[in-house]
Amino acid sequence: MGKIIAVHSYKGGTGKTIISINLAATLARRGKKVCLLDLDFRAPSIATLLKAENVNYWLNDYLNGTCEIDKVLVDLSERIKNNGKFFVGFANPATEAIRDMTAKDRKWEMRALGRLLSLRNSLLNDRGFDYIIFDTSPGLQYSSINAIVSADVVIVATTFDRSDVDGTRRMLKELYELFEKKTEIVLNKVLNDISSRSEKELQSRMKDVYQAPLLGVIPCFCDVLKGEGHIIFAQEKPEHPFTKILEGIADKIDGLV
Amino acid sequence: MAKEEALGKKPLQILEKIRENLEKLNEKMEIIIELQKRERKELQPLPEAPLDVMTLLSMPDHLRKTAMTVCRLGRATADEIAQQTRRARAVESAYLNQLVIMGYLKKERKGRKAYFYVDREGQG
Repeated sequence: MGKIIAVHSYKGGTGKTIISINLAATLARRGKKVCLLDLDFRAPSIATLLKAENVNYWLNDYLNGTCEIDKVLVDLSERIKNNGKFFVGFANPATEAIRDMTAKDRKWEMRALGRLLSLRNSLLNDRGFDYIIFDTSPGLQYSSINAIVSADVVIVATTFDRSDVDGTRRMLKELYELFEKKTEIVLNKVLNDISSRSEKELQSRMKDVYQAPLLGVIPCFCDVLKGEGHIIFAQEKPEHPFTKILEGIADKIDGLV
Repeated sequence: MAKEEALGKKPLQILEKIRENLEKLNEKMEIIIELQKRERKELQPLPEAPLDVMTLLSMPDHLRKTAMTVCRLGRATADEIAQQTRRARAVESAYLNQLVIMGYLKKERKGRKAYFYVDREGQG
């Protein structure tokens, strides 16, 4: 039985999207069947980052109930070597689509939750996916909470920014814990003096701050931030330390749940 | 032999009937209690309300657990919910009926079983 992973954060710019894309790619490179879904309807970016062309159906359409999930998924497996399967569902980046998604009412959100929950059946059970990875909007957005409720594991991307730390702590207590979700922290954009500390020391520091396990520590890599068109680092730069860290995270994810 | 079996079954059937009737009584009492809390007199459930994630978040913990389990299973009996939450069936039955009265869940009887579900398509 596959797993659903939601990648979330309190603030924007913590690296959710780059972590989502590269975690999905890393798992696919191991021969897994992976589906990456962009649920950040307020600021869709995966379609642009992965240079998606000729997309006929968006996740917006699936959640609106106007098409089934099969129509939305685009097979990008050829971008991944090692026989893995890499499917992506995009959020529509058109301004009109963003406006439409921000104006939904509670009943629509309730139905959208039902559509997300049913992915467990349609993608994990029927189509045999090993992983579904949700990239979400930061903070307490409807679409993000829908994703969290539907997921088995929540990966929380956080930085050492003070307001981010405070907000993340609140979400751990007042969001993930209320839904009884397994939560793992990824500390991102960590400056060198901190990332060079031992994992044990960082683990115990994280326990003090968040009372949640630390899944990984990603130092501040200028070349990752700049991207320069190499968004799937895990594929394009297999020897890069960022790729190695993602592999460590994928190892732990495989052992979770 | 057949006669003995029939005699043996009868008290069981009676007990089962009593249990069913007690359950129905319980449900009615729960409705009355819930309506009293809201100072409403008629024995009608409250209007339907969407069970969205913000509603789930604002619920008391004990009801959230039950409501989340119904969301996950889609459609379930009190027995099935109790297996998931590891709480007593009677407890779950009370919470489920409370959620029905609050307008978040629908209930449908099929024979002896009562199924609870979120009516996502029926609302507006």
